[in-house]
Amino acid sequence: MNVGRAIPYVDALERVDGSIGFTINLEVPGMLHARVLRSSSSHARLLKVDASRAEHLPGVVAVLTHADFGPEMELLYGGMKGDQPVVARDKVRYVGEPIAVVAAEDPETAESALSLIEVEYEDLTPVFDPYEADTEGSPLVHDEYGTNVCSYFKLRHGDVEAGFAEADRVFEHRFYSPAAQQFPLEPHVTIASVDDGSATLWSSTQAPYPVRESVAKVLKLPEDKVRIVVPPLGGGYGAKNFVKLEPMVAAIARKAGRPVRLALSTEEEFVTVTKHPATVKIKTGVKADGTITARKVDIHWSGGAYADTTPPVARGGGVTATGPYRVPHAWVDSRAMYTNLPQAGSFRGLAVNQVVWAYESQMDIIADALGMDPLEFRLHNLIDEGEEWVTGERMDDSHYKDLIREVADKIGWDEPSRSEGNLKRGKGLGVTLKSTITPSTSRASLKLDATGTLWVFASSVEMGQGVKTVLSQMAADAVGVPLERVRIVDPDTSITPYDMTTSSSRSTFSSGGAIRNAAESLKAQLLELASEITEQAPTDIEIVDGFIRSRNATGEGIPLAELLQRNDRDELFAEGSLETQGGLDPETGQGKASDHWHQGAGAAEVEVDTETGKVTVLRYHAASYVSRVINPTNVRLQNEGNVVYGLGPALFEEIIFDRGRVVNPNLDSYPIPSLEDVPENLTSSALESPDAEVPYGVGENTLPSVAPAVANAVFRATGIRIYDLPITPEKVLRALRAKKEQSR
Amino acid sequence: MRPETRSGLTTQKLRLQINGEHRSVEVETDETLLSVLRDKLKLYGNRRGCGIGYCGACTVLVDNKPVSSCIMLAVQVEGKRLTTVEGLSRDGELHPVQQAFLDHSAFQCSYCTPGFILTTKAMLDEDPSPSREEIREYLVGNLCRCGSYYNIMEAVEDAAARIREGVR
Repeated sequence: MNVGRAIPYVDALERVDGSIGFTINLEVPGMLHARVLRSSSSHARLLKVDASRAEHLPGVVAVLTHADFGPEMELLYGGMKGDQPVVARDKVRYVGEPIAVVAAEDPETAESALSLIEVEYEDLTPVFDPYEADTEGSPLVHDEYGTNVCSYFKLRHGDVEAGFAEADRVFEHRFYSPAAQQFPLEPHVTIASVDDGSATLWSSTQAPYPVRESVAKVLKLPEDKVRIVVPPLGGGYGAKNFVKLEPMVAAIARKAGRPVRLALSTEEEFVTVTKHPATVKIKTGVKADGTITARKVDIHWSGGAYADTTPPVARGGGVTATGPYRVPHAWVDSRAMYTNLPQAGSFRGLAVNQVVWAYESQMDIIADALGMDPLEFRLHNLIDEGEEWVTGERMDDSHYKDLIREVADKIGWDEPSRSEGNLKRGKGLGVTLKSTITPSTSRASLKLDATGTLWVFASSVEMGQGVKTVLSQMAADAVGVPLERVRIVDPDTSITPYDMTTSSSRSTFSSGGAIRNAAESLKAQLLELASEITEQAPTDIEIVDGFIRSRNATGEGIPLAELLQRNDRDELFAEGSLETQGGLDPETGQGKASDHWHQGAGAAEVEVDTETGKVTVLRYHAASYVSRVINPTNVRLQNEGNVVYGLGPALFEEIIFDRGRVVNPNLDSYPIPSLEDVPENLTSSALESPDAEVPYGVGENTLPSVAPAVANAVFRATGIRIYDLPITPEKVLRALRAKKEQSR
Repeated sequence: MRPETRSGLTTQKLRLQINGEHRSVEVETDETLLSVLRDKLKLYGNRRGCGIGYCGACTVLVDNKPVSSCIMLAVQVEGKRLTTVEGLSRDGELHPVQQAFLDHSAFQCSYCTPGFILTTKAMLDEDPSPSREEIREYLVGNLCRCGSYYNIMEAVEDAAARIREGVR
């Protein structure tokens, strides 16, 4: 058995000797280098884009502008709404929007050519705030839509006003999460090679099939003429989900008639995708005994200028906004607005980070007001196994109480924290539920060749989460071959079958499930062949460790390679798929939101220096429910990596905009967590169900709880409450001062 | 939108010793060491990250001291000894620091891994018995966005032990 074992990454050697083939290392013969001219205005009419001088610079091969689109190529694409031009045409909608792309013999020439492109703007009034964007008379980001609403999700369950009437106390608060940058260390990189009737792209994407669809649309080619090849990624975290550079690079490669490569700078990453800034207003009614009677939540997301993955953000955040709690009467309005900012998109913990920040902070505020212990208050309201939830769906396989008890226990919840002088200590909790994208589909195929090698074809992208390793383990066991005989083929849409996307913590579950189904079919074929040779019934034969053998006999049996050879077969093929079903009523949000639920919890112990305002996380324990562990090492890396990742937006990460321009687009002004920020004591647990066969994902479960667990610990240490992330020393000092003045 | 101006007017023959080999390469005087390593010498273990010397993905050893090759001019290493991740294994055997990183799965996407390994090697060459606090301080300029720091700390401590025991 390989499942359940802490085997090393199957590609570990190339990761430590540095030879792993990231997209950024690729070169294609005859390749040109691209640079992008970007808008300096947040909102303007484009009066002129004149690239003629740039085109004449020696070394420049092609310049792409909106004038190149029309009969030959389609200007508009977009992961979700088809609202995004490859390059701006009539208007620019954010600072950093691509206006023109230059392809030249070397990157320096391409860069120099940018300054030769003449652009004239007529500035328009921009809108940056999603509430302002949601008012009558606001400037319109997309005039033709007549509204700035990009996506609107609503949930209606019970009678929320009656629920508030039943309550003894009603609490209303507002919480804010700013924009943040996913910050994969490998930037977005795409190389495109386009000839008359077909295109090949090598791209650092989490979503080869959606990319294929968009590129085919832009190039006006059938999808089967577009091939997307995806080497391993140097990190993704959502930044590389859905379509990013690919249409732009494909379009200029077609115009140039030669392959073109574009790799973004860190500064460009900040205007390519961000986390959604979001304000969450949450109103909760409770009885004196701590029973929640109703919850009403209003969320305003700033989606930036284009939709990208904003619709699933509005939905995913909206549907989970009341938390994993028993809420008899619920009302959620989740409105995602177009704004004149860079597009916001998928960010690890998609949408849930922002709502967990709100509901888990408020849980502690309410507990404190009622004089209840935050753990007791949560346990009193968390849903149980099989309970009906605010979508009307039955929440099977719910483990929130176990998770919160686990983290509370591991952090020593009942032991008081020791404060000394100006160093105040406290502990805090947080719990998370997150949907997985539903419905969704993954396919996989298997090939067993005459050498006994099992080839796995699936389009889940290896981005460091170890998907190749866990899929190898699952495939080896599902067929019955040794792990060393398994080869995972990197995603390539001309070879590996359809998969929706590598996101939403879905690959282990979805691609793993598709592989399991394919393995059943492959095994049936093998048993059939074996049955003919051995003259035994298929049910009396088993496949173990690469051998066919009789269930009753001893000895090794026949190697699979020999079985194929003796039957004169070069190879056997099998296909499998995993499709989930579900969906929500657009008017009420009732239905089935998620095939299964990602469940996590965290507990933090912090030390607050009341002289400097600095918050240090001393201890953190994270727990997630995984159903079944495939690889304990990978699970731990995900669970604890999520905590480290979450500490950034909790304590210091924030993209600052000045009239739409990013002020801090690199690490000198936008720090991310280093070894100094990691708690000295960081631990995690993975909860399993004893008989579970099907594993759930762990890519995000423990991330969203981090910020509220830290904020709740800060409150218990000092009595101050932070409502706006990140929890910076300045905010802590200001709140301490306000508290002091209040108590005077 | 980092401007990369091209002077391109002055080139120079650069002699350096890289991973024990003497190499000579034509470089532009304004060219960074990282660009020479990646684009000219095709040593892709040296990763392009933030481009401003903060993330440590481009770390190489110059006379056994870790430097950010993205903010060092190639001409500054004239005549010096360079070590990159490609030069660490000997006769097909990983360096003990690499082996420790492998054994502890001290990475996820591993984009930052060569930088961590080289910085660790330099630290352990100076002092094979660093305290946890010293390790944190020494490695603070190498960033792992996947957050595999716990495993990295384990790997570094294990590598130190292996080196003290004279594995190499």
